[in-house]
Amino acid sequence: MKCEEAKLLLADYWAQTLRDQDEMELEAHFATCPACREETVRLESMWKGLAALPPEEPDSKMRSRFYESLGAYRLGAESRAKKWWPLSPALQIAASFAILALGLAGGYALRTDNTSDQVAQLREEVTGMRQLVALSLLQQQSASERLRGVGYAFRAEPSNTEVLAALVSAINNDASVNVRLAAVDALHTFSGSPSTRQAVMEALPKQNVPLVQVALIDLLVDFKDRQARPELRRLASDESVNDGVKQRALWALETLQ
Amino acid sequence: MNDNALMQEVAGGQIGQLAILFERHHRSLFRYFVSMQRDRQVAEDLVQDVFFRMLRYRASYDSAQSFTGWMYQIARNAFMDHTRKKRDVVDIDEFADRRPEFASKQPGPEETVVRKQDLGLLQRALDMLPTEKREVLVLSRLQGMKHDEIAIVLGCEVGTVKVRVFRAVKALEQIYTGLEQERQENVS
Repeated sequence: MKCEEAKLLLADYWAQTLRDQDEMELEAHFATCPACREETVRLESMWKGLAALPPEEPDSKMRSRFYESLGAYRLGAESRAKKWWPLSPALQIAASFAILALGLAGGYALRTDNTSDQVAQLREEVTGMRQLVALSLLQQQSASERLRGVGYAFRAEPSNTEVLAALVSAINNDASVNVRLAAVDALHTFSGSPSTRQAVMEALPKQNVPLVQVALIDLLVDFKDRQARPELRRLASDESVNDGVKQRALWALETLQ
Repeated sequence: MNDNALMQEVAGGQIGQLAILFERHHRSLFRYFVSMQRDRQVAEDLVQDVFFRMLRYRASYDSAQSFTGWMYQIARNAFMDHTRKKRDVVDIDEFADRRPEFASKQPGPEETVVRKQDLGLLQRALDMLPTEKREVLVLSRLQGMKHDEIAIVLGCEVGTVKVRVFRAVKALEQIYTGLEQERQENVS
C-alpha cells in the first residue's frame, strides 16, 4: 500500500467503518512507514479531541418559540383551507342566492332584535382589539412576539389598511425570515384588495432571501395576478437570482398565461 | 414511529406531527448551527427556520430518501442564506475571535486520550477552519453522521466526503499546532 492510498482510508479508520481487510493492510503499512504512523497518531488525537468538546445546549425558550410559530402557521393554514367558495359557476349562482336569502333573513332579525345589535357591536370591538394587538406586537423587539402579531393579523378585517401596511412592512424590513414568511402567508387574508397585489409586486424585487421570494411568487399565483409577469420574467432571467427562485418564477409565468 | 413516517404524515397535512420531529432533532440542529457560526441566538433562529422550511417544502418530501439527510440539506441552505445575508456585515471566520474560552471541567474518558490537549485551543482551531472544512467535521464527528448521509447533504460522492474528512482533520491539526506554538511563545 502506498502512503496516498493509506490516507484515503483514514476517514473510515477513524469512523470505525473500515473493512477488516483494509484495516489489516493499513496497519501493515503503518508498521513499515513511520511518517504515516506518526501523522496518523497526531491527526487521530484531533479526531478524538473533537468528541470531547462540550456540546452546546439550546435555551429552554427555544421550545416555546417553536410551538408559538407552529401555532401561527397552523392558524394560517386553516384560514387558507377555509376557502369554501365553489369553482363551478352553477354552484356559485346557487351559493349567491343562498347568501342573499340568509342576508335578508339576518337583516330582518337584526332589525327586530336589539340583543343582536349589541352582539354585533361587541364583535366589532373584539375585532378592533385584535387589530390593535396585531399592530402592537408587530412592532416588538422579539421575533417571536412579532410572529404572534402576525397570528393576530390573520384574524384582522381584510379591509384594515393599517394591518395590511404593517404586514407589508414586515415582509420588506423584518430581520427574521420566519416573520417575513408568516407575514406573506397572512396576506392571503387580504387577497381581495388591489393594494395588497400592488404591495406584493413591489415587495418582490426588494427580497434577497430565496424562501421569501418563492413565497411571494406563490402568493402572486394565488392572486392570479397577470400584471406580475414582467417582474417574474426579470427574476427568471436574472443571473444573480437563486436557481430555485428562477424555476419558481418560470412555473408562475406558465401558470399565469 | 420513525422520522420518515412522521414526515410523511406532516406532508399529508398532519402539521402537529412536526412537534415530535422538533423534539427529536432540535438539539442536534442547534449544535450544528452553533458549531458553524458560534452565535447562539442566530443558531436558535436558524433551527426555527429549518422547521419552518420543512413545513413549506413538506409536499416535496421524498420518503425514499433519508430524513436526516433531507433535514441537514435544509439546515445547510438556511445557514448559507444566513451567511449570504451577513456577508456584507461580518466575515464568517471572524466568529473565531468572538467565542469564549471553555471553562475548565473534569476530564472525561475521551479526554484521557487527549489529556495534554487543550480543548479550548482545539475549539479555536475548529472555529478558524474554512467553512467547508469545518462543516464536514461538524457533520461527521460532532453530529455523528455516516459518510453516505453527509454525501447527500453536501451533494457529492461518498469518496469525496472521505477525502474531505481527511483534509479537514489535517488542516485542523496544522491550525492547532500553530496556535499551540503561539501560546508557548507568549508564555516564554
